[in-house]
Amino acid sequence: MIDLKNIEKYYASKGIKHYVLRHVTTTIKQGEFVSIMGPSGAGKSTLLNILGMLEEPTYGTYEFMGEDVTSLNERKRIELYRNHIGFVFQAYHLIDEMTVYENIEAPLLYKKIGGSERKSRIADLLDRFNIVAKKDLFPNQLSGGQQQLVGIARALAAQPSIILADEPTGNLQSAQAEEIMQLFQKLNKEEGITIIQVTHSEKNAGYGNRILHIADGVVKDDVAVSNNVKI
Amino acid sequence: MFKLNLKIAWRNLWKNKVYAAINIGGLALGLTAFVLMLLYINHEESYDSWSPDLKNVYQIREKHDFFTPDNKEHWNEISNSRIANLLRAKLPQVVAVTKVDNDFDFDNGYSLKVDNADPVIINKIKDSDSSFFHVFPYQFLQGSADKALENKETIVLKESLAMQLFGTTKVLGKTVKVVRWETDKGTALTITGVVYEPNTPQSVNFNAITRTGNKDKDPENPTNNNYCQVYTRLNKSSDTLVLNQTLQKIYIDFKKSLLSGQKKNYNDIYKDGKLPGLKVIPVSEVHANPPYNMNWFEKLKPVMAISAFLLLVSVINFINLATAQSVQRAKEVGVKKVLGSYKTQLTWQFLVEAALQSIISLFLCIILIEIVLPAFNNHFKVDLSFWHNAQLPVMISQLVGLFVFVTLLAGFYPAWILSNYNPVSVLKGNYENGLRGIALRNVLVVFQFIISVTFIISIGVMELQSRFMSNKDLGFERGNLININTNYEDDFVERLKKIPGIQYVATTTQVMGNAFNVPEEVNYKGNAINLNTVTVTMDALPALGVKVVQGRIFSKEYKQDTVNTVVLNEAAASLFGKNVIGQTYGKVDWEGKTNRFQIVGVIKNYHNEGFDKTVLPTVYKVTSLGGTSNTNNLLVRFNTSKYKELIGKIEKEWKVLYPNFPMVYSSLDDAFSKSLEDNNRFINMIILFSLVSVSLSLLGLFALSTFVARRRTKEIAVRKVLGASNIQIVNLLNRSFLVLVIVANLISWPVAYIIIKKWLDGFAYRIDMPISPFLTATLISIIIAVLTVSIQARKAAVTDPVNALKYE
Repeated sequence: MIDLKNIEKYYASKGIKHYVLRHVTTTIKQGEFVSIMGPSGAGKSTLLNILGMLEEPTYGTYEFMGEDVTSLNERKRIELYRNHIGFVFQAYHLIDEMTVYENIEAPLLYKKIGGSERKSRIADLLDRFNIVAKKDLFPNQLSGGQQQLVGIARALAAQPSIILADEPTGNLQSAQAEEIMQLFQKLNKEEGITIIQVTHSEKNAGYGNRILHIADGVVKDDVAVSNNVKI
Repeated sequence: MFKLNLKIAWRNLWKNKVYAAINIGGLALGLTAFVLMLLYINHEESYDSWSPDLKNVYQIREKHDFFTPDNKEHWNEISNSRIANLLRAKLPQVVAVTKVDNDFDFDNGYSLKVDNADPVIINKIKDSDSSFFHVFPYQFLQGSADKALENKETIVLKESLAMQLFGTTKVLGKTVKVVRWETDKGTALTITGVVYEPNTPQSVNFNAITRTGNKDKDPENPTNNNYCQVYTRLNKSSDTLVLNQTLQKIYIDFKKSLLSGQKKNYNDIYKDGKLPGLKVIPVSEVHANPPYNMNWFEKLKPVMAISAFLLLVSVINFINLATAQSVQRAKEVGVKKVLGSYKTQLTWQFLVEAALQSIISLFLCIILIEIVLPAFNNHFKVDLSFWHNAQLPVMISQLVGLFVFVTLLAGFYPAWILSNYNPVSVLKGNYENGLRGIALRNVLVVFQFIISVTFIISIGVMELQSRFMSNKDLGFERGNLININTNYEDDFVERLKKIPGIQYVATTTQVMGNAFNVPEEVNYKGNAINLNTVTVTMDALPALGVKVVQGRIFSKEYKQDTVNTVVLNEAAASLFGKNVIGQTYGKVDWEGKTNRFQIVGVIKNYHNEGFDKTVLPTVYKVTSLGGTSNTNNLLVRFNTSKYKELIGKIEKEWKVLYPNFPMVYSSLDDAFSKSLEDNNRFINMIILFSLVSVSLSLLGLFALSTFVARRRTKEIAVRKVLGASNIQIVNLLNRSFLVLVIVANLISWPVAYIIIKKWLDGFAYRIDMPISPFLTATLISIIIAVLTVSIQARKAAVTDPVNALKYE
């Protein structure tokens, strides 16, 4: 699904290249649950941003679903966002002026999905995440865990094939974090959604089936995880 | 999507109520000033557009110096009445030509008497000939255009006048007695028509058109001329340039034969490139081209500029606040972008938000207009209306245009800034990069303050100038002096002189409120000197209370005074040179005889007109030799404070003599106030505009400083933890704004100087450019800016730093 070849990212200042990523070459298949780990400043988030096409690599090629997306025009990139990619953020990034319902609805509106289908999909998601009662509340009326649930529901609304999550539990208590991670695992297992997350926590990484260890911009280690115990 | 965006827009407005109110209220104020201006412009533009047939109607203008305010040649609205016949005979395109009375500003109207009712003074009753309604396509409510003025001694009323006099419009065949001046016996005129009031204003405005017969014939003696307005209707709309060439040819022939009839030689008068002139202008352009004054557009220019500026200031507020607020919306932009929103969709969203605010402002503005329109009408002596406007569709399309313009102007930049936010940096959490657009915002604040400071300076200078004018010595005593609109009639004067308390009764051809300049050329020691002539009675100069500089003024003791002595004012005396007392000069009268006049005194200049005009070099005469006739002034000076009682007594005497004509008078105090009126009105308007402008700028500054304080919350907290005092924090925030205000002041000084200099130059009598308004304005602007910012800064400074630092 994802094919990275020799991805490099650096910032040039005063003629010196400051590398954030070097020689990253990897393949992520449909249905994998990958955790990216590493110390602060290692380049985890940059890698995720590149995967999410929010940043362009300075060098290398990136193929998404067999298509070279290294430098894509805005229109095509947005098509991918609408149809294939869902984002989950550490700070949830719900839109404050929209209710829970409207937040989940937003991607469907961009995707131009008809009214009745929209309604049933949102109802389904609200139901699944147990937040039906909260649908008319605004984000600031929810707890962090609930906000992140809404954030994930929003990411799932457009039925993406991949979810990119940047420290999805970074702002949550461990109980809430666990809930979110289990949800991810379930989505991955039952619906076959590819998930790529950045995390600091070994425990969270344990929910996935593969870990990429990054240090100083280089992939140091790429290990498979067996997590059969967890479910 | 659109619905959701509207919802978000609404919630955002609600969340930031105060700023939204500032934005919308400010914009509504700016729009109100602008729309009022639009209404006024529409009104002025609509003159003489009430009928499509008017496109073939033209006004005749003749170039001459008869009866012009400065005694120089102008293209006048009044022409020699013979021109009407000339056009009929020589211009084949002519369908109809009519002669009609001119509007004279000293005209106070005629007295109309219906049966036994009390006489009423009605102005704008114009005498014309049988063709008036053949030229002007008025709609008849009663009677018809063909028949109305067919016979002499007929009158056609406007609808409103018929209602006023009779209470009904069914008045055909009734008679009205028109008394044109107090000693006039009056003419009974038969009503032959009532016309509708057209739906747009008219330059040939009338309450009634009469045909007394006076306009039917031209004077037989070629040396006598009647002057009146002449209008013609042509069979098709013509190219005025070609038409005017033809006219000019016809006119030169006419002038030659007229002059030879007066035993003068055309070539003696028109030499050295000087030419007589006759032209037509379409009636629709008459209002925009007054013969002497600036036209309305020129007069309005400063006001238009000001209202455009006000709109700009409020739009700037809008832009400033929107970009400042954009920080709050950055996250929304970032999220929407990764959810799959196009940039253009986002731009549209924010434009729609701006549109929402401007549409609310527009509605507020319409409400405001409804509220202020009566006062505006009163102030500018116009009759504007919004809903009952003949051009409502035009108005509405203008408003729609204005709405789109304001929305784009105010919304485009913030929308562009917002939709350009980079999702990566925004979503990482450091979306507080409000530094974007800070330079522009500063420029805009400076610009606002330039406008405000310029306004404050202008008010200061204007105030000083108007104080100077109201305290200036007029050269005569304006208290206890009234001017009755009547000629000097011995009978009436003798009766008045018997009333105790009345000191002088006199007449002059020129007095404040009724300036009437009569030019003459005199010969003094071989030099020609141009003077303005004023004819007075013996008592006039003492009645006015003028100050004698040299020699003496007229007195009964000198028999010669009624024959050939004159008094000069200082302006005239300076043209004659030194030691003028006792000197004589020559003046050729209209029969070609030279009369000699002796100068017996010089008086101080006194003002007959506003301070924008210089006092003309004037010669005062009692004599009839070369003097002019009465001009409807009767000065009454009294030495008692029982003003009302005295007027009552005068009116009683009046009624005995002139029962058919009400007495009209004005005090010289009122005449003086009236001469200042235009200026005061202008100053009041500037004050109003400045208040709006200054408060808009302050609102903008207030809101902006709030945002800056909020954006710098963390910095402030850190500084406080490091030991900064509240005062230091307040100063920190003030400093950045203070710099802007000072820059604005530096720029506005020269700007204000140039503008104000131009304004002052319009006055012949003016103050020197004062420095104090400049200093005051700077001081005021700094103080209010500091106060405004400090309120916000203090709030930021006294908050507990823990709150700001707790969570990033």
